Amino acid sequence: MAKGGTQSRKYRLQGAGLDLALPYLMLAPGLLIVLGVLVYPLWDGLRASTEAYRYGSVVANVGMQNYIKLWSDPQFLNALWVTVKFVALSVTFEAILGFALALFCLREFRGIRLLRTILIIPMVITPVVVAIVFRLIYASDAGMLTAISEWMGGGQVQILGSPVKAFFGLVVLDVWEWTPLMFLILLAGLQSLPHEPFEAARVDGAGNWRVFADLTFPMMRPVLAIAIVLRTIDAFGTFDQVFVLTRGGPGEATRLVSIYGYDTAFKFQQTGYAAALFVTIGLVVLALAFSAVRLLRRVDAS
Amino acid sequence: MNSRLARIGVMSAVLAIVLLPIYWLVSTSLKSNREITQEGTLYPHVPTLDNYIRLFTEKQFGAYLTNSLVVTFFSVAIALVAGAMGAYAIARFRLPFAMERKVGLFLLTLRIVPPVVILIPVYLLMLKLGLLDTWLGLIATYTAFNITFCVWMMESFFREIPVDLEEAAMVDGDSRFGAFRRITLPLAAPGLAATAIFAVLVTFNEFLFALALTATPRAMTMPRGTATLIGRIDTDWASMSAAGVIGALPIVFFALLVQRHLVRGLTMGAVK
Amino acid sequence: MTQSSRSRLTRRSVLKGGLGLALATTALTAIGLPVPARAAGKKVIIGAFADGGLTPFKQKIIPLAKDAGFDIEFLEDEYGVTLEKWFADAKNSAGQYDLYLLDDPWVPQFGAANVLEDLGAAGIDGSDKDWIGSMIDMGYWPPQKGARVKGFETATPTLICVPFVGDLQTLTYRNDVYTSGAPKTWDEVIAKGKEGVAAGKIKYPVVFRGVSGNPIVTSWYPVFLSFGGSFFDDKWNPIFNSAEGKASADFFVGTMKQNAPSGVVEFDSDQEGAAILGGDAGAIIQYSGNALKADDPTQTKVAGKLDFGVVPKQTSAIAQMGIFIAGIPKSAPNKANSVEFLKWYVSADIQAKLSEAGSIPVKRSAFGIAKPGNRLIPVALQQLDAGALPRPRTPDWAKVEELLGIELNKALQAGSGGGAALDNAAKQVKDYLSSVGYY
Repeated sequence: MAKGGTQSRKYRLQGAGLDLALPYLMLAPGLLIVLGVLVYPLWDGLRASTEAYRYGSVVANVGMQNYIKLWSDPQFLNALWVTVKFVALSVTFEAILGFALALFCLREFRGIRLLRTILIIPMVITPVVVAIVFRLIYASDAGMLTAISEWMGGGQVQILGSPVKAFFGLVVLDVWEWTPLMFLILLAGLQSLPHEPFEAARVDGAGNWRVFADLTFPMMRPVLAIAIVLRTIDAFGTFDQVFVLTRGGPGEATRLVSIYGYDTAFKFQQTGYAAALFVTIGLVVLALAFSAVRLLRRVDAS
Repeated sequence: MNSRLARIGVMSAVLAIVLLPIYWLVSTSLKSNREITQEGTLYPHVPTLDNYIRLFTEKQFGAYLTNSLVVTFFSVAIALVAGAMGAYAIARFRLPFAMERKVGLFLLTLRIVPPVVILIPVYLLMLKLGLLDTWLGLIATYTAFNITFCVWMMESFFREIPVDLEEAAMVDGDSRFGAFRRITLPLAAPGLAATAIFAVLVTFNEFLFALALTATPRAMTMPRGTATLIGRIDTDWASMSAAGVIGALPIVFFALLVQRHLVRGLTMGAVK
Repeated sequence: MTQSSRSRLTRRSVLKGGLGLALATTALTAIGLPVPARAAGKKVIIGAFADGGLTPFKQKIIPLAKDAGFDIEFLEDEYGVTLEKWFADAKNSAGQYDLYLLDDPWVPQFGAANVLEDLGAAGIDGSDKDWIGSMIDMGYWPPQKGARVKGFETATPTLICVPFVGDLQTLTYRNDVYTSGAPKTWDEVIAKGKEGVAAGKIKYPVVFRGVSGNPIVTSWYPVFLSFGGSFFDDKWNPIFNSAEGKASADFFVGTMKQNAPSGVVEFDSDQEGAAILGGDAGAIIQYSGNALKADDPTQTKVAGKLDFGVVPKQTSAIAQMGIFIAGIPKSAPNKANSVEFLKWYVSADIQAKLSEAGSIPVKRSAFGIAKPGNRLIPVALQQLDAGALPRPRTPDWAKVEELLGIELNKALQAGSGGGAALDNAAKQVKDYLSSVGYY
C-alpha cells in the first residue's frame, strides 16, 4: 500500500466532537508523568551542573567551570578510558559469541529448548545478584576458582587484587550476563531470513563458509548492528555490577564513569561537579546513538 | 556423527558455564561462614538453612519482598495503561506539526540516556516532595522510566493491527476510544504481555535508584536490601549468598514461566 | 481467528506467571514477616553499618534497652553507602533516623554542615572525667585541639557526637610462634614469623588489608605512626611524605608484602580475618571485629593460640583509633527519646554491661570491671595508654583517604615504590584541598 494512502485513511478516521481531543487525552497521562519525573529533573540537573557545592550546600555559581575541570581531572579521564575499554571489549565478545551460538542453534535439534531456557537465566537474574555470584567465584578465599584450584592441588587464585585481572573479571561477568541477549536477538534475526537465497546457493554448491560470507552475514548486518548499538548504550550505564563486585577497585582499574560520578556526588559531596559529569556522559551516549542510527540509515540506503 | 559430538560438546560447555556459577551461589548459601572461608569445600559438607532463616528473622527480607512486589506491580500497571494509550495515539493519529512523531522521538531519546545521568536531580526532586524512602517515590520514578519504553515497544504492536477492524467497529456504533478498548487492545494483547513482562524484569531488578531513594526497610526493594549484605568490612559470605538466592528466585521463576513472551519482547525491537 | 486464540492463551499464561510470582512472594513473605509483637516503648531508630564490632551491643545491650522502656529499631546497611545515606538524611532533614552510629572520621563532615544536635546543650557532659579523653575529643566540632579547617578557626567547639563503642587497633599474634609474648618491634614480628613459617606452624608472618581506599590506608596507618610519621602540618599541608613516612610506606609495600599471603593486594577484613583465624598468619594489626572471634572454636581453627598485645614499634608503638560515635540529626523524628537513650547508654552502669558483653567501652571505669567480656579489653586500655591517634579531623578525609589509598595500592601491587607513591598522593591531596579552598 502506498504511503499516502495510509495517511489519508488515518485522517478519515478522526471523527468529530470528543474524538478530536482524543489523541491529546491519550498522550497526556504518560507525557505528564515523564515530564514531571524525568524531564524536570533533567533540567534541574543542568542547573546544578553550573554550581559548586560545599558541605552539602550550594556555595557559588561557577558557570561552565565544572565542565572545563572535567577534562583536566585525571580520575575522570581514567574512568572514561576504563568505560570505553569495558564497553568495547564486552560488546565485541558478546556479539561474536552470541552470533556463533545463534548459528549453531539455527538447525533444530534435541535439547535446543532446554538450552534456550537455561540461557535466559543469566540475563534475568538481578544484576546485584550476578555480581554477588561473581564475587563468590573470584574471591581468593571463598571463591569457586580457588576451591577448584585447591581441589586440583593448586593454590589460591587471585582475581580481584590485580588491576588487569579484575578488569577482565568484570568483562567476563558482563559477557556471562549479556551474551544470551545477543544470542536471542541474533537467533530471531536468523530465523526471520528468507529461505530461497540459501536454497539457491546450496543448489549452486556453495560451501558453508561461502554461504555465511556471501549471504548470512550481509543479510544479518542490520540486526547485528542494532543489537550492538542497544548493548553499547546499556553497557555505558553499567553500575550495579561494579558497585557490588569491586566498587571500582583495585585502585581505579574498574572504576567506570557511573561509579566515579556516584562517588563524586554522594561520597565526596561534589554534587555540582558530578551533575556536570553526568550531563557530559548523557550527551556522549546520545551522540553515539544518533550517529549510529544515521550510519545504519546510510548503509540501508546504499 | 562428528557434528553430533560437536553439538553435545557445545551444549555441555554452555550449560556448565551458565549453571556452575549458579550452583556455587546455592551451594555457598548452604554452608556456614567457617566452612566457606576456611575449608574451601566443593559442596556443603554440613548443609544448613540457618543463612536463610537469618535473612527473615534478623534481617528484614520479608519487608524487602513486599516492597518489591508492591512497587513493581503499581509502576508496571500504571506505565502499561498510560503507555498503551500514548503508543496508540502515536501509532494511529496524525497531529498538527507531526507532534505525535516528535513526542515518540522525544520518549525514545529519554530511553537512550543512561538512567544514572538523572540520578542526582531525581533524588533532589523526591527529597523536595518528601518522597524519599517511600513506595510512592519509587513507583513514580519507575513508572516514568517504564513509560518511555512501553510507548516505544507498543507503538509497533499497534501499527501491526489493521485499521479496518477499528473502522468496522466504529461503523457498528463504537466510539473511537471504544474501538481502541474493545478491538485493538485485545488484539495487541501478546504485545502488551511482552511489554509488561519486560517492564516487570527491569523494575524488579532495578538497583541504582533504589539505592539513592531508599534508606530503611520501609521502602527498600530486594536488590537494595540484598546490597545491605555486600559489606567489605566484614563480609558475611553465607548471608550474602543466601540473599542472592532469595533475591533472584522470584524473578527467575517468573521469567521461566513466561519464557516465550519474554523472548519475543526482548528480541522484537531489534529484529523489526 | 488465530489472532484471538493466541491472545487468549497469552492472557492465561501471563495470569499464570503473575500468580506464580505473587504466590512465591507471599509464601516467602509469610515466613519472613516478623510478628509485630514489639512492646510499645520510646521509639529510637538507630542507623548502623554492618560490622562485627557492634555484635555485643546488638545481642546484649538492645535487650537491656527494651527492658528500660526503649523501642529500638536497629537498621543496618553496608559500610560503603552509610556515610552518603546519613549525610543526605541529615542535610536534607529527611527524618529517617534518630541516631547514627558513625565511623569517627565522618564527624567533621557532619560538623561542618551543622546538621547534628548539640549534645552538650541536651545535657550530656563532655567534661566528665570518666570518658576516655582521646575518644570524647573526637565528638567535638571544631576539634578542641589541633588544626582546624578554614571557616571554623574561631568557632566554639560543640559536642555533636558521643563515643558509642570504643575501638582501636591492637596486635593479635600466635603465642606458639611468638613464644616470649607480644613482639615489641617490627623486626621481631618479621624475624620470629619467618622462624614460625620454617617450623611449619604458619604460612606467613603477617597479614593485612591491601584493598584500595579505606582498607589499605587503615592497615598502613599504624606502621606509619610507629615509624614516627605525621599526616598534616597545622596549615593542612600534607607532610605524610616525610622521610619517616616514606620509610614506613617502603616497609609496608616491600617487607610486609613479601611476608604476607601473595594475594594480600586484594585482601579486606574478611580475608585477613580468615588468614589469622584459619591459622595461616602469625601476626596482624586489627580492630576488634575479628579479634573478638579469637576464642570462639566455631570461628577459628587456632583457638587458644591467639593472644593480644600492643602494636609493634619502630620509634613508638602508636595505633590508629577508630570508634563508633553516635550523633543525633537535628531532624530526628524522636529526638527526645534519642537523647534519653544516649544518656542511659553512656552511664557507667550500662558501659560496664557493654564491657561485660565483650565490647570495648568508652568510659574508663568500665575497663576496670571484675569480669570484662573478653581478654582484648585490658589490652585495649594498655594500647590507649601507650598511644592511639585518630585520623585527621577534616571533612574531606574520605577523598584524602581515597587518593592515598589508590597510590598505596598501586605501590603494593608493584611491591616497591612506597615513597614515590606518597609523593604522588601528597601532590594530589594538596591539589584537591586547594580546589576546595583549604589554603
